[in-house]
Amino acid sequence: MKTPELSAYHELEALLPAYVEHCLPAAEADRVAAHLPTCPACQLQVTQLRALTNDLDAALPEVPRTALRANFMAMLEEQKALLPTAVPSAPAPAQPEAKVVSMWPTAVANNWMRIAASIMLIAAGVFLGRQLPWGGRSTDGVATTSEADKNTPYALAQALTGDNGRTVSASDRIRLVTNSPKESEPGDPTVQVLLNTLNFDPNPNVRLAACEALYRLRDDPRVREGLANSLPIQTDPNVQIALIDMVVSMRVRRAVPQLERLAKRPDALPVVRAQAEAGIGKLI
Amino acid sequence: MTTTSTSDEALMAAVRADDLDQLVPLFERYHGPLFNYLTRLTNDRETSEDLTQTVFERILKYRSSYQPTQPFKAWVYQMARNVHADYWQRREKLRAADVDVEEVERTGGLRGAAVSQMRVSTCADDLHEALAMLPAPQREILVLNRFQGFGYEEIGQLLGCTAEAARVKAHRALQALRKIYFAT
Repeated sequence: MKTPELSAYHELEALLPAYVEHCLPAAEADRVAAHLPTCPACQLQVTQLRALTNDLDAALPEVPRTALRANFMAMLEEQKALLPTAVPSAPAPAQPEAKVVSMWPTAVANNWMRIAASIMLIAAGVFLGRQLPWGGRSTDGVATTSEADKNTPYALAQALTGDNGRTVSASDRIRLVTNSPKESEPGDPTVQVLLNTLNFDPNPNVRLAACEALYRLRDDPRVREGLANSLPIQTDPNVQIALIDMVVSMRVRRAVPQLERLAKRPDALPVVRAQAEAGIGKLI
Repeated sequence: MTTTSTSDEALMAAVRADDLDQLVPLFERYHGPLFNYLTRLTNDRETSEDLTQTVFERILKYRSSYQPTQPFKAWVYQMARNVHADYWQRREKLRAADVDVEEVERTGGLRGAAVSQMRVSTCADDLHEALAMLPAPQREILVLNRFQGFGYEEIGQLLGCTAEAARVKAHRALQALRKIYFAT
């Protein structure tokens, strides 16, 4: 036999999901709120529903392999080939302004080719960077500050950010970063200066140079941490790929969550997402 | 990016007029969500990749049936539901057919499926396992509501019921999931 309490419980139980979602009409919400303190079973349900809702909201989406894109592009090319040769140029009902051209012919759509091309690009940049004459330190003029030696972290930071009132060109900033100390003492502020440059310098080439300089100082624990933290900040694909390569080669396991997020970022280039995915595979 | 500003419907109208390149931005916008939707329904990533591909094949095949006045999202999800239903029927038929299960298992057909199933459940957390245990219609409604960002109005349109009925169904599904998820 149902007691009034029991029937109230059953009636209100059906309202609990809506109560947790805050979409009950005020009168019903008040009834549930009044009932809850007297009913441990409903309290437990509300707690569980809230936890479940949070877990559902926090669930990461499943991400397809990049092969799906390659297969799609191949299918699209096939279908385009089947079209009558004279593609009607008559405007569509609402003509989009974009003409999307496949960046990679699907016949040779090969992710590895794309990844390799990116790595080659970065490697070429690094190689060129090393070949250029950096000499003439004393005549440099940019990093020279009257009050401090240019290699001190303070002077380096000042010169890089233009705090001393001078505007420093990107190429000079690259030079400063490249000439930064090759080894660091524990707690050396150079690491922090370089991390700041990596995260906040407006020029991607300067950020790439900061990557390189930090790699030389990789024995410092702050470098590992800083590189992982920098992954979500970077938007330039070259810097993103350089960072991914670095955290993978330095086996920075804590970078896995950042890589996972990067692999799912809709604004990241496919090649970057593929590289992040490959990096996760190597790290876990 | 220039393509992001163009509406789904305008892009699809162009695809319909045989400008097939306009399907690329639509693919970029929808392949992730559709794959996610199908993976939650099938609990099998490999199958879901195939099914996602099939959805885009069907978009091209049936492009002339698209009415530019109808929301592309609803149209494409309806197509994804049909693709999933066809897959389900095929599977059931295969099961009903006179197939020597042991023979299939020995040759690896089912084992491959079992392994790919397992990969999802070992990678996924308890939540996904609990979701997989829900009856398919309840799972679908939760996936649409919680993972695909569908409102009750949109779910109602997709499932052919009112928004209010969709809301009640979603709440029942949430309660059912809670019972599985917190069962000890």
